[in-house]
Amino acid sequence: MEAKLIIAVVVFIAVYGLLIWDKINRAVVALLGAGALVVLGVLNQEAAVHGIDFNTLGLLVAMMAIVTICQKTGMFQYLAIRAAKAAKGDPWMILVSLSVVTALVSALLDNVTTVLLTVPITFLLTDELKIEPYPFLVAQIMSSNIGGTATLIGDPPNIMIGSAVGLTFMDFVLNVGPIIPLVLIGMIVPMRFIYGRKMKVSDETRNRIMQFNESEAITDRALLKKCLVVLAVVIGAFIFQKPLHLEAATIGLFGAAVMFLITGDDLHHVMEKAEWTTIFFFMGLFVIVHSLVEVGLIKSLAEKTLELTGGDMKVTGMTILWVSAVASAFIDNIPFVATMIPLIKGMAPAMGGPDAVMPLWWALSLGACLGGNGTLIGASANVVVAGMAHKNGHAFSFMKFTLLAFPLMLISIVISAVYMYLRYFMY
Amino acid sequence: MNASNIMTTGVVTLRRTNTMLDAIKLISVKQIRQVPVVDENNKVIGVITPRKLMQAILPPYVADGTIADVRFAPELPEFVEKIDSLASKSIDDILDREFVSVGPETHSMEVAALFVNAKKPVESILVVDDGKRLLGIISPWDVFKRLWEYSGKKK
Repeated sequence: MEAKLIIAVVVFIAVYGLLIWDKINRAVVALLGAGALVVLGVLNQEAAVHGIDFNTLGLLVAMMAIVTICQKTGMFQYLAIRAAKAAKGDPWMILVSLSVVTALVSALLDNVTTVLLTVPITFLLTDELKIEPYPFLVAQIMSSNIGGTATLIGDPPNIMIGSAVGLTFMDFVLNVGPIIPLVLIGMIVPMRFIYGRKMKVSDETRNRIMQFNESEAITDRALLKKCLVVLAVVIGAFIFQKPLHLEAATIGLFGAAVMFLITGDDLHHVMEKAEWTTIFFFMGLFVIVHSLVEVGLIKSLAEKTLELTGGDMKVTGMTILWVSAVASAFIDNIPFVATMIPLIKGMAPAMGGPDAVMPLWWALSLGACLGGNGTLIGASANVVVAGMAHKNGHAFSFMKFTLLAFPLMLISIVISAVYMYLRYFMY
Repeated sequence: MNASNIMTTGVVTLRRTNTMLDAIKLISVKQIRQVPVVDENNKVIGVITPRKLMQAILPPYVADGTIADVRFAPELPEFVEKIDSLASKSIDDILDREFVSVGPETHSMEVAALFVNAKKPVESILVVDDGKRLLGIISPWDVFKRLWEYSGKKK
């Protein structure tokens, strides 16, 4: 037992180290770690496979397939242009409307896809307006991470938490969702003071935006109708997930299968665009974290944590919220959440059972998802937008982003902490 | 039948020291698909293609395909200024260094296969000697015409 424990800890630390070093593909790192654990006899293959959460993987793959087909319709560009026109071409109002659209789309689809499809429109808009895109990019990065926090399917940490604990789409909407609009406002108001006044353009320039014809952005109307029908049914099924007694992956994969059937899209071609790195990264991580559970490390860590917090709900919840936020700003929130899930599960019996520790899951979700806003490497959407900015001649540094984003992230955690306190910990 | 039989010789070229304005003038006067750029020893260092020129005019987010369809925008920003600024750019900035070339002995079927299987659309293939010095140029039609004539003779 002792030897297995040491091997598991060494592999875990090595994997974390390699992930922070960030020179080797993260899926390769996770699979190497998982493979080493099986080869060295910490887990047998059966136990390793048992650790993989196929509900998380199924939902991720399904949403990737659905989004890949939907994006061909041009619906995301349409929404971004509509947002800009609703703002009457006024730069500050465009920033606000793009933030709201980005948050809404991110709540239902993954954050990276949302920014990949809407940020090019932002560049076009700011070029037309002849203004700096930077404030818009920051607002969109942050809104995508904020919006993604609101639902089960919005951000990978929520998918993992939801799957591990058996939480539904509406559980997240009702417990995390209510504070999200306030968190979004908490990001936009400071932006107004920093950038709002500098954004002035002539009426003629604003007219250029108003001449955009958003309906031309829709490239395939027949496909759009099919996509909207499937999306509506899938989201409807998520809303009624509890009475339907369906797991998230079932809804997602069934929706994706229907999508393939009615659009006639080639499965091989669509799945080529899925983010397989993320999927295999998850697989490896699940095995690694499962090994920590098997060797009993998580159990003793949970006992230690309980000793420190004295099993107090308020202290534990606030600690999870703040530690998750700061950790997620600097390291990938996926391995962090993967490690925290068994830890919180391990503490549950001593704290009054699974129902009593529910607030801890919301604290983990808010902290891990919103914390990603803290630095340029905190979340995938941040890295993707920074790359796009660089390519388009608007590069910004890690420090420039962090000096603005980290305080904004802290504001979002303060808002979340107040919400958590008032709703779950006051009585 | 090999590359040296089907290539066009006496190719119009530009020197690295030429300006983009020279290049644009040359392209508008002569009816050519692409202009090889050579150094002082007649060694090919790249080609200038209309595709590259258009890429230089379009905003990066359009040129790299992130917004491939821009029908919804009545006019792209700074289009005229970008064309004007093109003339003052150096040939090195616009040069496409990833050109396709073959030796004079390459079989014509192999040239045809290169046109069909190239990763990005190839406007023409350069024929160069061992020292990468330019001998001639082959367009897709050159290959097809010769293959057609060849099959006619066989009958």
